[in-house]
Amino acid sequence: MLKLLAKGFGLFLLVVVLLGSVWGWQNRQHLAAFPDILPAYTAKEYCSCRFTAGYSADYCAGFTRQWLPLKRLSVDETNRHVTAEGMGRTHTARWLGERQGCQLQTP
Amino acid sequence: MRALLHCTLLLASLVTSAVSAEERWPVPEWVVALPVAAERVQALQAYAFPERDDAARTGVRTDALLVIKDGEIVYERYAGENSAQTPHLLWSVSKSVWATVLGVAQQQGVLSLDQSVSEHYPPLKAHPQITYRHLLHWASGLDWAEDYEYAPLKSSVVAMLYTRGRQDMAAFTAAHPQGVKPGIRHSYSSGDSNLLGAALKQPLAERYADYPWEALFNPLGMRHVSFEADASGTYVASSYAYMTARDLARLGLLMQRDGRWQDQQLLAPEWVKFNRTLFEHATQTQPAEALPGGHWWLNAELQGQRAWPDAPTDAFAGLGHWGQSLTVLPSDGLIVVRYADDRDGSYQHNTLLRHVRAAFAAAKP
Repeated sequence: MLKLLAKGFGLFLLVVVLLGSVWGWQNRQHLAAFPDILPAYTAKEYCSCRFTAGYSADYCAGFTRQWLPLKRLSVDETNRHVTAEGMGRTHTARWLGERQGCQLQTP
Repeated sequence: MRALLHCTLLLASLVTSAVSAEERWPVPEWVVALPVAAERVQALQAYAFPERDDAARTGVRTDALLVIKDGEIVYERYAGENSAQTPHLLWSVSKSVWATVLGVAQQQGVLSLDQSVSEHYPPLKAHPQITYRHLLHWASGLDWAEDYEYAPLKSSVVAMLYTRGRQDMAAFTAAHPQGVKPGIRHSYSSGDSNLLGAALKQPLAERYADYPWEALFNPLGMRHVSFEADASGTYVASSYAYMTARDLARLGLLMQRDGRWQDQQLLAPEWVKFNRTLFEHATQTQPAEALPGGHWWLNAELQGQRAWPDAPTDAFAGLGHWGQSLTVLPSDGLIVVRYADDRDGSYQHNTLLRHVRAAFAAAKP
């Protein structure tokens, strides 16, 4: 009886793992890009908040705050660069001019 | 004969002065018809500017509220660090701004509504049936997932703005498969708007970068505008225009007056009519939401319901994430600009419009 149960559980696990792999494979593009969202979003929107719209650093920190914590945010006020690090990825946005505002840099 | 001529001239000048006395333009600056009696705007102010919770980011969080009546400012208030000089992020109101740039291009013969966009934008060659009209109705038929922060994994818009699509957002959109035939289904898509952003690049060539200013912002006297582009140099027409509330209201006035700015017809009246005409295959949602016109949102009635029951059916708007809006109420002579940072669902546009109309719809203060 126990043996049968264990066998059933094993089969169940196998199915879960298989389904998970299928889902993961189907969504591989989405999964690969997912960790980039937080640092890319923060770098771009902080840069625009601070240098395109001209709000204070305090305001922009609150404006870009997300439910996932960021590892590092560094703001170069002189050159108007913003680098954000989180989820193991790093992204930088740069202010280009009055009309052009900010843009994410090619990784 | 000479007396007759004099008489005609005199009559003409009388007519002209009568017109200019009647019609107010923000040239060079907005006329401010203040102060308004405090009790008149009490309910409006209480609704739009409750005590602000910036730590929890909950509740109605209005950054700017500007009301224009017959071409004059009748109400203007800013909160937090915002002022009349702040170029605020428009998010998706940018779509209606870009559509107006396209409207000027159409008036100048650069494009026509039923032209295949692939003629101007080669990456769309795989979808030659998609026309400007289809994109302006957000009806490209491309498979697209317009979700924001609540479902970021498979959101097309998040991938476009921040990850896989960010280098060239229009090309990223054009690479999506065709879901349904173009022109038969409205499916809100920032990708459709960015295809419109890229479509003008080839026909305008080196004029493209300056064109939004040359065609629209400068003629209207909008002086604090930024429009961010992706790394391929395409304006992010879906999301990234920044301007002051006063500048956005100028665009509202252009729309209210059917594309005319003083004596200059910048947009064809038929273009504005197209913007304000309901997409023929639009469907009603529960609860009712604003319905798609030509890259603007309409308070049109469908199946006995409309998005803002306390505003007239001719009301139309540009609407953006986190509470941005430019609303034109032609039959009231009102334009309402609201900037905000609403992070929950507390804010109701119908309620705001009800308070604005109660204070200002009837007559001048």
